[in-house]
Amino acid sequence: MRVEKTSQLAKLQKTFLEKMNKHDRTVLICCGPGCLANGAQKISDEFHKVLKKKKIKGFSIEALKETGCHGFCEQGPLVIIEPDGIFYTRVKVKDVEEIIDTSIKKKEVVERLLYTDQATDKTYETYSEIPFYKLQHRVALRNIGKIRQCDIEEYIAVGGYQGMAKALTKMKPMEVIDEVTTSGLRGRGGGGFPAGRKWATCAKIDDEPRYVICNGDEGDPGAFMDRAIMEGDPHSVLEGMIIAAYAVGAQDGYIYVREEYPLAVVNIQKAIEQATELGLLGENILGTGFNLNLHVSRGGGAFVCGESSALMRSVAGEVGEPRAKYIRSVQKGVFDKPTVLNNVESYANVPVIIEKGGKWFATLGTPKSTGTKAFSLVGKVRNTGLIEVPMGTTLRQIIYDIGGGVIDNKPLKAVQTGGPSGGCLPEDKLDLSVDFDTLTKAGSMMGSGGMIVMDERTCVVDVAKYFLKFLNDESCGKCVPCREGLYQLHALAVAISEGRATEEDLDKMEKLSDNIVIGSLCGLGKSGPNPFLSTIQYFRDEYLAHIKDKKCPAGVCRELITYKVDAEKCDGCMACIAACAQKCITGKKGEPHVINQERCDKCGACYAVCNKRDAIEVA
Amino acid sequence: MNHDFSKLPEIFERYPDTPASLIAVLQDIQKEYHFLPCHALEETARHLDVPLSKVFSVSTFYNAFSLNPKGEKVIRICIGTTCHIRGAMQIQQQLENLLEIKAGETTEDLKFTLEVVACVGACAMAPVVAVNEDFHGGITVANAKRLVKTKKKTKKGKA
Amino acid sequence: MVTLTVNGRVVQAQEGEMLLEVIRREGIDIPALCHHEAVEPFGACRLCMVEITKEAWDGWTNHVTSCLYPVEQDLIVSTHTPKVNELRKSVLDLQLARCPNSPEIRKLAAEYGVNETSFESKPDADNCILCGLCTRICDKMGFNAISTVGRGHGKEIAPPMHEAPPDCVGCLSCALNCPTNVIEYSDVNGKRTIWGKQFELIKCSECGKTTITREFAQALSDRKGIPIEYFEKCDHCHRKELSLTMGQVAGWSKEVQS
Repeated sequence: MRVEKTSQLAKLQKTFLEKMNKHDRTVLICCGPGCLANGAQKISDEFHKVLKKKKIKGFSIEALKETGCHGFCEQGPLVIIEPDGIFYTRVKVKDVEEIIDTSIKKKEVVERLLYTDQATDKTYETYSEIPFYKLQHRVALRNIGKIRQCDIEEYIAVGGYQGMAKALTKMKPMEVIDEVTTSGLRGRGGGGFPAGRKWATCAKIDDEPRYVICNGDEGDPGAFMDRAIMEGDPHSVLEGMIIAAYAVGAQDGYIYVREEYPLAVVNIQKAIEQATELGLLGENILGTGFNLNLHVSRGGGAFVCGESSALMRSVAGEVGEPRAKYIRSVQKGVFDKPTVLNNVESYANVPVIIEKGGKWFATLGTPKSTGTKAFSLVGKVRNTGLIEVPMGTTLRQIIYDIGGGVIDNKPLKAVQTGGPSGGCLPEDKLDLSVDFDTLTKAGSMMGSGGMIVMDERTCVVDVAKYFLKFLNDESCGKCVPCREGLYQLHALAVAISEGRATEEDLDKMEKLSDNIVIGSLCGLGKSGPNPFLSTIQYFRDEYLAHIKDKKCPAGVCRELITYKVDAEKCDGCMACIAACAQKCITGKKGEPHVINQERCDKCGACYAVCNKRDAIEVA
Repeated sequence: MNHDFSKLPEIFERYPDTPASLIAVLQDIQKEYHFLPCHALEETARHLDVPLSKVFSVSTFYNAFSLNPKGEKVIRICIGTTCHIRGAMQIQQQLENLLEIKAGETTEDLKFTLEVVACVGACAMAPVVAVNEDFHGGITVANAKRLVKTKKKTKKGKA
Repeated sequence: MVTLTVNGRVVQAQEGEMLLEVIRREGIDIPALCHHEAVEPFGACRLCMVEITKEAWDGWTNHVTSCLYPVEQDLIVSTHTPKVNELRKSVLDLQLARCPNSPEIRKLAAEYGVNETSFESKPDADNCILCGLCTRICDKMGFNAISTVGRGHGKEIAPPMHEAPPDCVGCLSCALNCPTNVIEYSDVNGKRTIWGKQFELIKCSECGKTTITREFAQALSDRKGIPIEYFEKCDHCHRKELSLTMGQVAGWSKEVQS
């Protein structure tokens, strides 16, 4: 059945909404990236198995839904019972039958599975009251966790494709562009370029055919916002792309999904098929005569392909070597034709902007960074997960009010934002507002939204070294400053972490960094030295401790630390002996153990398993 | 090593016959054979009308491709930032010692390949280790052992 | 026509020209190792970087690779500012770390004050600077025999599967244009070896000198529709024959005229 009129779409919405709401109770099983990695699929399978056996009066198996990322990953696997919003955390397969008997058969609650805030000792029955959720404002993530994953009926039921219908039937392409310009939407991939301006420039280029591309190559380690959107609400991306294509006159488009996200590839492909079947994509969309074909283009596994010109080369089946930015891709993009490339989250915002108006969007956030932003809050923070807040929220509000503060109440050492191209900001910068420009002025950047919290046991030299290795490995190798410069910068960082460097090496690194920033061809190289530059700005003392004192204050850099057993605290449990790969720990059961320093390779396995008893110290 | 290349035409059928299909074709070949055999590269070059040198260039540029056979179980340790600060390096060391190979290598019996991957996007459950397409979160030095043992047991059991 | 300033001199250029062409036309010497007039500019070596600004930019400057940047009206270009020189020095220092034994790199680096690299280098490294010129020229020639292999610091230039390249015809375009003369080849006893592949060299039917490979001749014949027999004579002997013919024609025309 094809939808050929907006009135038909409105009717479908009503029908699908009734279908969605007809259930007395609905069970939502979070199948977002975090919960999936924690066994959510097994839990879902168990629910299906038990409910098929136990037929419960008034409950249909259709009311069991696998959803995208609900957000509170730390507490996963999550199971939510609607319409009450009962929030079950850390659910195991063996809990499923009890949940069914207690909350589906009866309308009661399994107390022990509810969330308790460790900081306040308060237990919450529903998720909407939990500060983690209460303080968020979800626009791009609006449907994720609420509707069945990758289900066009539920997407339409909650108002999906209304924005597209409005654009295609009630607005001219230029009016669509104006609306997006008014909204102030800036590229959510981190570049922050005004989307409206990009679309307007492309629309004016006198060349055909035109293309729209979605950058789903979320390469920043620590970021999974785009993954959650592509898996959990792929139709929001498609709808945004259709609106963009209509605005700039494109009839073909690609959704570039990175190789490491196989489920996203499947779900986007499924969504394309679902939308095409209903006539909401493909030929003669909604009976308006507008055509758009969307294809999935799979990345081959290269961080550099997150850079737009490299991505376009990859779409064309070539190596992902970027090209200088003097040739703009709106003019000569993929296949050398005018191309609009935007990030997943950017497209996810577009339908809402058209529906509610650009002016509405601009009331959120700050004047220069309008709207909201999704973040993956991870690292040494209590409440790790996927969040969305208005631009302008401070780091402190995100990490403490929503994030619940640092694990074990330890002091915060730094927060790393912006992925490898970003930087580390110390505790005294926590009141900075998170937006496109403020963090950049402070020496970091908001980037695509990865936010990694670090405590005293994170060594900034190690973090800089880690990022430099990553960037050097991912460099395409085309230009000298990036390929050779980052290699040498990394080699010097290694020397520092091994206690072999001098203060002159720090000067050398700063000078080299400056030249890499100016001399590199693309963004990867240009922002490559940032991990070093931002940490040396705020944590110079830590670098000097490695260089002058040959010590690693955080107890991380292997050449500069020793692991020792505190004989008084050790209870002789032998856990460390079992964990030691070098077999260099001796001791009988019940007696204090001893680490042979000569054979010890400082891998830290013993420290990791002993943590409970605290008997192994690192110095 | 003898491979059954009769699957190739079916793979080629899935995509348009243009150079732009190169990466997708190579990924399907990688999935089918666990690596990219030389003959498959030559056939791909012929079929898509792309110079062999370009096919080889693309095969060696991207992380997804391997010119050497991979194991039945590909264990990918995530070394993304979050996993890194939560101890991915210790886990890598553990698994390297257990399987007696280094990351990037395959066991002689072709049962396991050990790899590191930059980030799989499950950061909230760091550290994460993927075995083929199954992701396992909250891995520690203690339970990492179990992961490999379980998989090894499965193989023995099946035999 | 576009008017711009280069090192204080006001110059004219055609729309669409790159800055490097204009700079060289003015007799200013800047290095550009990955550049060749026959192929598209690449922007990999970064040595041709220059500083650009405009009066309208209020003091803001940018550094761009002149090989790839098209001329603009009122652009102010400076090719040897202290910052630009420092950039080149840094790039050459890094290149010297990769290729410490290359005489060409040593010479160029010395011009910018770098006699020894200040970074880690491998003593037995080869002299390939990874400019990619050989692969681009091979592509332009239509043979696509070699390519870049791998990525990042471990990148190299090689034939497919590191074996004798099936598409190579032994034309030597890659070797003759390599800025650091890294590509080895040998012509011995009527046989040419390059990239691990052997070719037979055609011997001129007139003078016996070896000319080009049979494979190259066949490719030219196929592409340009030239009969393959043409290649049995070397250029010199072809010209000799042509001059004799022209002489005869001139002689006949004299007869006709007189």
